Amino acid sequence: MTGQTVAVAVTGGIAVWFGVAVFRTSSMVRSALSLLASMAAIGGVFLAMEAEFLGVLQLMMMATEMAIMSVFMVMYMMDPGGLGQMEMSHQKRSSLAAGSLAGLAALGIALLVDWGPIAPVAAPPGEQTRALGIETMTRSLLVFEMAAVTILVAMIAAITVAIARRR
Amino acid sequence: MAVALVLALLAGAYAVAVLEGWATTGRFRPAAPLIAGLALFGRESLVPRRPDRLLFETAPVLLLIAALLAAAVLPLAPNLVAVDLATGALFVNAAWAYVMVALIMAGWGPDGAYAMVAGWRFLGQLVAYAMMIVMPISAVAMRAESLATTAIVQSQADFWNVAAQPIGFVLFWLAAMAVAFLPPFDLPTAPGTLAGGVAAEYTGARLAIFRLARLLLVVTLAAAVTVFYLGGWLGPWFPAWAWTGIKTLMVAAAMFGGGRFVPRIRVEHLLQWSWKLGIPLALLNIAWAGVTLWWVDR
Repeated sequence: MTGQTVAVAVTGGIAVWFGVAVFRTSSMVRSALSLLASMAAIGGVFLAMEAEFLGVLQLMMMATEMAIMSVFMVMYMMDPGGLGQMEMSHQKRSSLAAGSLAGLAALGIALLVDWGPIAPVAAPPGEQTRALGIETMTRSLLVFEMAAVTILVAMIAAITVAIARRR
Repeated sequence: MAVALVLALLAGAYAVAVLEGWATTGRFRPAAPLIAGLALFGRESLVPRRPDRLLFETAPVLLLIAALLAAAVLPLAPNLVAVDLATGALFVNAAWAYVMVALIMAGWGPDGAYAMVAGWRFLGQLVAYAMMIVMPISAVAMRAESLATTAIVQSQADFWNVAAQPIGFVLFWLAAMAVAFLPPFDLPTAPGTLAGGVAAEYTGARLAIFRLARLLLVVTLAAAVTVFYLGGWLGPWFPAWAWTGIKTLMVAAAMFGGGRFVPRIRVEHLLQWSWKLGIPLALLNIAWAGVTLWWVDR
């Protein structure tokens, strides 16, 4: 149990450290790779909490997601390779306020919501995968579909804007 | 067991190196990779001017780690697998995803034009092949009703997935060649146009690690084709591990041999073919898998 707690704390710490590193560099590539490292560390948090499927999924999706992010970076930046030095934080005050608010809200949800009884032992990985599949295909189906459609619309809109600009 | 697995992996990488030399030069020289490898360690390992040092040094090691992690979940025999993860088929995807990350690092790190073009090119290549890796594996997992690689091999006891899902097999084969940037998908190295691309600025020991990692990557991809489609260790007479080894090497040889006679594909053509033809076919493959499974269950 204590070993597990230490593992969660260490991977969580790595995630936060790389999260800070995203904004402390002036290279876009380093920023993107730090973000990936942060997200991969969150995959490590999942693995440390014995959520095997979620952890592996996080590790896989974040690498490909960083790739998609880079595609958008190439589409929108004047300097696609990121050769120039650029500031990674903008509108510092408002973003600080928004970030703190969002952090407090997340913390509040984590602490105040009744999560039900804590499972004494994690279910075997195969069972977890099955349970997740049933969940995404029943109760959470609408949520997932909404998220998927939203992302798709955003991607199509972004591509349209990029093409219009190029003309 | 750990020693046996590492030895098997190294032997596989060496055999693949010999095969690659045979396919590209037309001459069978079993000692050539050993001599070339030793020579690389004897050479100076240059660092280009003004590199992004962290990314430059990390890239070959990350590529090696990605290949090793992928190898860890692919079984050589029923009980001869480093980690028999319940989510093995997903994990192997996750490991391959970091090949792209490593190549972008290798492209960006040295501050060289050829390397950078090659690194970003591989990003485009990933957008083309990623779905053709994931979707055929989904169909294979549907048949096995499990993501464990050992269960996937066992599900092919009656007949292999290559017969049950031929479309998925072809798509996965081509995508696997694209992951390992074998010709005709060798866009990130592109000898002749990009002077070695992502590997252009690497020399000496760093290049040796890069090459070793790439060979191991080819081994894992050929092994994955074997495990997912060619019945893994299943076969008569020989012991289980020998069947996996023979099939893996034959797949690797076929990949090298086939790629030799095809011109290098352009990145935009690769994207067009994969998104306009490959992904619809992959969806069809999943539907086909569902229909056949439903038919068999009835």
